[in-house]
Amino acid sequence: MIDSMIHRKSHNAGACVAIKCSNTGWHKRISTSKIISLSTLMLAMASATVWASDKPTPPTPPTNTCYVDGVSDRLNCGFVTVPENPNKPDGKQIQVHYVVLPAVKNANHEEALLAIAGGPGQSAIDNAASFNTMLNKVRQQRDILLIDQRGTGRSNLLNCDAGPQSLLAFNDDNVDSLAEAQKCRDQLTGSDVTQYGSLNAVKDFEAVRAHLGYKKLHLYGISYGTRMAQLYMRLYPEHLATVTLDGIVPMQQSVLEIGSAIERGFDLLFKDCQETAACHAEFPELKAEFDQVVARLTEGPITEQVHDPVTGEKTLLTLTRAKFYGAIRMALYQTNVRALVPHAIHQAAKGNYQPLLGLYALTTDGAGMAMGMHASVVCGEDIHRITPAMREQAKTSYVGKTMLDSLEASCSVWKVPPVDANFSEPIKSAIPTLLLSGEIDPATPPSWGELAMEKLTNAKHLVAPYATHGVAYQSCANNLIAELVRTGSVKDLDGECLKKDVRRSFYLNASSVEPLATEDATQSSKDKPKDKPSTGAKE
Amino acid sequence: MNKIIAMVRKELIDAARDKRSVMAGLYYAIGTPLIMCGLFMVLIGQLTSPDDLKISITNPDKAPDLVRFLSNKGITQGEAGAKDLKAIELIISPDYAKQMNQGKGAEITIVADNSEEKLQNSIRRLEKQLQAYSAEMGSLRLIARGIDPRVVQPLKVNVHDQATTDSKGGMILGIAIFTMIYSVFISGMNLAIDTSAGERERNSLALLLSHPLTTRQLVLSKIIAVGLFALLGLVLILLVSKVAYTFVPWQELGFSVSITSEFMALMLLVGIPVALMAACLQLFVSFMAKTFKEAQSYLTMVLFVPLALSMAASYNIAPDVLQWLPVSGQQQALMDFIKGKDMNMLQLLVSTLGTLAIAVILALGMEKSLKSEKVIFGL
Repeated sequence: MIDSMIHRKSHNAGACVAIKCSNTGWHKRISTSKIISLSTLMLAMASATVWASDKPTPPTPPTNTCYVDGVSDRLNCGFVTVPENPNKPDGKQIQVHYVVLPAVKNANHEEALLAIAGGPGQSAIDNAASFNTMLNKVRQQRDILLIDQRGTGRSNLLNCDAGPQSLLAFNDDNVDSLAEAQKCRDQLTGSDVTQYGSLNAVKDFEAVRAHLGYKKLHLYGISYGTRMAQLYMRLYPEHLATVTLDGIVPMQQSVLEIGSAIERGFDLLFKDCQETAACHAEFPELKAEFDQVVARLTEGPITEQVHDPVTGEKTLLTLTRAKFYGAIRMALYQTNVRALVPHAIHQAAKGNYQPLLGLYALTTDGAGMAMGMHASVVCGEDIHRITPAMREQAKTSYVGKTMLDSLEASCSVWKVPPVDANFSEPIKSAIPTLLLSGEIDPATPPSWGELAMEKLTNAKHLVAPYATHGVAYQSCANNLIAELVRTGSVKDLDGECLKKDVRRSFYLNASSVEPLATEDATQSSKDKPKDKPSTGAKE
Repeated sequence: MNKIIAMVRKELIDAARDKRSVMAGLYYAIGTPLIMCGLFMVLIGQLTSPDDLKISITNPDKAPDLVRFLSNKGITQGEAGAKDLKAIELIISPDYAKQMNQGKGAEITIVADNSEEKLQNSIRRLEKQLQAYSAEMGSLRLIARGIDPRVVQPLKVNVHDQATTDSKGGMILGIAIFTMIYSVFISGMNLAIDTSAGERERNSLALLLSHPLTTRQLVLSKIIAVGLFALLGLVLILLVSKVAYTFVPWQELGFSVSITSEFMALMLLVGIPVALMAACLQLFVSFMAKTFKEAQSYLTMVLFVPLALSMAASYNIAPDVLQWLPVSGQQQALMDFIKGKDMNMLQLLVSTLGTLAIAVILALGMEKSLKSEKVIFGL
């Protein structure tokens, strides 16, 4: 019964983002280290991913048939071996694993669609099921290629494991970020963590393309994956047919600027609730209640006896401000979970933390993210771009500040040299490019998509008014991608279908989204379709 | 040998003169794949649920969230009387909101005729989406109560489907191969009747036998001529199939059907003994019949046997022993090949030898019978 929901969630799993991953997953792994939970809460905020497998999958031999979680079809798997450091071709070698979801009826053997996962740190192969569902129409005629980027999944995973530890009871307010980062770094002694940035990874992708013999690739990048796609456009444009960027991180932008995007996501939620008759009637003081809970948590964490969401055993919950923000923030990634947030805030204000516990449980799985690789990327490509002005700006938001602090601690341990300044230049290209943004995206707002458009001469930016992060998973945009792949042109793509009202009604209590049919409520539910959408569609 | 070649040429010239009856067999080879593909195209269009499924929804205002959820999945309220409106009604209980709020099952009724094949996919799709919505709400209700929804999914079932996109089309391919084998039998049939019973009715058979020819040479040349025609039919149907099958949108059913050059070569190779046997069988029966008409009716009956064998194999209803018999054995091997499985070479060899053995026995029988005046003059 739950199955389909899980699947649905898992769709978004692919959608993790640049810094944040989109999905709440239901897979919880307590083995995440403190650093993870810390930087997770902050930067990577990793939420979690759904399809992360509990056991590391054993490496597969070169091109072979195999199966992955959630896809029943026979797939082709394999790996290419590349030097960890391209400047030391004889040094340590790592395997970059890939999986091909074969086309149902292959119309063009020389092309494939490469889908790139977010994070940074998510495994594309672990998210195969969600990619498979979302790209179903593309797959009817083209192979879908998934590559575990170096440092993620099966490709020399850089993750940290601090052993079992109860995340519920753990107080993340007083953690020594520096010590935790060092502990994590010590687990990765076999690898040169400075070699796991996006530029090396793009070279790996190109090596896989050449190995498999595809002449042209269509790209689909989600979240941080859009940065990889843009780099591919910059470095190997001759091998690209079309590009789709979904939940866009423009090259000019440091992912650390996500702080203001998160604030915006919270504000949009309050606004949405206020403008929806039933929600406003039920939770008229939502914003005030939220502030009230934050104020309470600012004084110190709340500890309470609860039942563990999974085991059902009595356990201690230490609710900190970071956990509260984290749980709500991750809930905003998916429209269906987002619908529960006003109820959760309202209950928390009344002293009932059960709904919040449920939401928090969804985020405790750092498993979707390879935190070591995550730090390698962010420390090399983003942290040096922080200007004093941005630092000031970050201090105004709790999430922005904590995120920055913990990342700076990680990066002081990681010691990744910063990329060249030209890394941050906008991509100049005439490759047909479709850009997708969700208006209520709490990670990569539509304005970021506009930035990425700057020097793209053959591109179209569509904004889905009711989508969060990962537009293709929540709307008809996956059909637009199929059309783009088929026609090879963005000219005739019509984003009209994105404007369809697919909002999810807010939960009014723990059971229902529909207001009770009193005279009044009937009236309000009739008014509902006329409610002004929180945002207009724009192109 | 020269005599045989001369005779074969004579038979083929004869055949070419009577274009109408002989071409009738070849029309089958050209027409069948085209008709099949046309039918499949129509069928696929009808069986697959349209992207935009229009149904009637009663009381949509009682469950606006559900209605929007469905519309995001392409299931929407259609206008009454519109052509694309499917005969499916979704009734939302007037008490929906009340039942929801009490945490009870909120009632939804689907009204539709499940025996209507064109609707089945659409009905299933609607049910699946309602299940998805229900499961999603169930999960969120658990979250609202501080419980991880995974706990109510105790089994995680992984399916490792061993099919390939080619083998999923196995049923269709079975039918395709069946039509090809059928064409081997059909294409030469008219010529076989014409060159035996027909020749006898035209009184040219006795004339032919009065030439310095052995009966064996006569029989062999007729077999070769008919066999060549059967193979011509096979070549035609292979070529037409190769082109026609690519036009059908099989991928909408989740598999692909493609006639590769390797398959065509194998089919031709396997088809040669079958064509020889078909020629012998048809000539033998025709010679046994007293008149042209009689030959036609006998052949129709006799041909049923190899075709039944082939059909049994293509529908996979055959007992294992059929895999060793002529025709069905070859069909089985061809199906394995196209599904990418290993062919059982022993079975293919046995059934091919069996086919050839039947052909030789029939040819010897014919040779013997043509020595009797009863047969030559149709007495």
